[in-house]
Amino acid sequence: MTRRLIPLLFLFVPVPASADDCRAVDGARGSVSFEVRQAGSPFRGMFRGFGGEICFTQDRVTRIDVWLHPATVDTGLPEVDAALKETEFFAVKEFPRLAFASTSVEAREGRQLAHGALHIKGKGHNLDVPFRLQQEEGRWVVSGSLTLDRLRYGIGTGEWSDTRWLGAEVKVVFRAALR
Amino acid sequence: MRFRNSAEGYGIIAQAFHWIVAALVFVQIGMGLYAADLPVSLARLQWLSRHKSLGLGILALVLLRFAWRSLNPPPALPDSMPRWERRAAVATHRLFYVLLILAPLAGWFHASAAGLSVNWFGLMQVPDLVSKDRELAELFKLTHRVLVGLLALLLVGHIGAALHHAFLRRDGVMHRMLPWRPRRNV
Repeated sequence: MTRRLIPLLFLFVPVPASADDCRAVDGARGSVSFEVRQAGSPFRGMFRGFGGEICFTQDRVTRIDVWLHPATVDTGLPEVDAALKETEFFAVKEFPRLAFASTSVEAREGRQLAHGALHIKGKGHNLDVPFRLQQEEGRWVVSGSLTLDRLRYGIGTGEWSDTRWLGAEVKVVFRAALR
Repeated sequence: MRFRNSAEGYGIIAQAFHWIVAALVFVQIGMGLYAADLPVSLARLQWLSRHKSLGLGILALVLLRFAWRSLNPPPALPDSMPRWERRAAVATHRLFYVLLILAPLAGWFHASAAGLSVNWFGLMQVPDLVSKDRELAELFKLTHRVLVGLLALLLVGHIGAALHHAFLRRDGVMHRMLPWRPRRNV
């Protein structure tokens, strides 16, 4: 009986640990910036607080789990930053963090494409994020850009849903080193 | 009606520049004062965008007006006016040009430094004069307000003097800037 069970035990032996290298996103070394159109002109800002974990084998990413604190928004205009934390935008009191988690990652020529879900303000939508993972000066650096429709996530509700004055498209550019 | 200025009065081009710029400056100051007190809102974004577009329009008109004035000198002030008054009038008019060019420029610098670039009435992207810088933005904002404050003071003096000429002295000085002849002339 015991002998028969022995092979089953192997099912619980983890896959060789060397396969996956999981590292924390270094929030101090990187940036998440965004650009949206206000009255037809580009308007830029960034988020100072973000982090998470990225797992990879060699240079192939296997899992992404990242978050961002919208309360750390910095547009250079304090009154705009304050408005962005209110309910019409990020509602930071109720939703202090937004997150992206991958379900799968596929390799593309020179880049990789993460399939996953982005959760903002309690709304989750599938999102594909193209990115690169490269070694720079001995550090792993992940970088990429994407375009979001802010209205799908309820960013800028009420009068702010007028996209002639505040564009629907938000371009996000990210770059962060891994610890 | 003459196009060019003559010894008696301003031509129709100079008058058109004067009254159009005057009307726009009043609208502009009104919009600026109204928008400045609004909290961050769609209305503030809309009014400030219009204010910025109109300000650049005024700047362009004033530069054209200045070019026209350079080619077509204004009529001389009457000898009946004391010398100091004529000097004060000339100085006021010069200062108007300085302020009407510097005030919108300071506003444009402020918008650029604040990262709130201008798209002219939604028709054309206007280049930034400086890159985004919060401290510079505050400095330009203050400069813009001081210049507009001076402009408002100058306007009070200018309008007061014009009305004085029109209704108390009745010396035809104000009528040089009006398309019709004075009913009574001294």
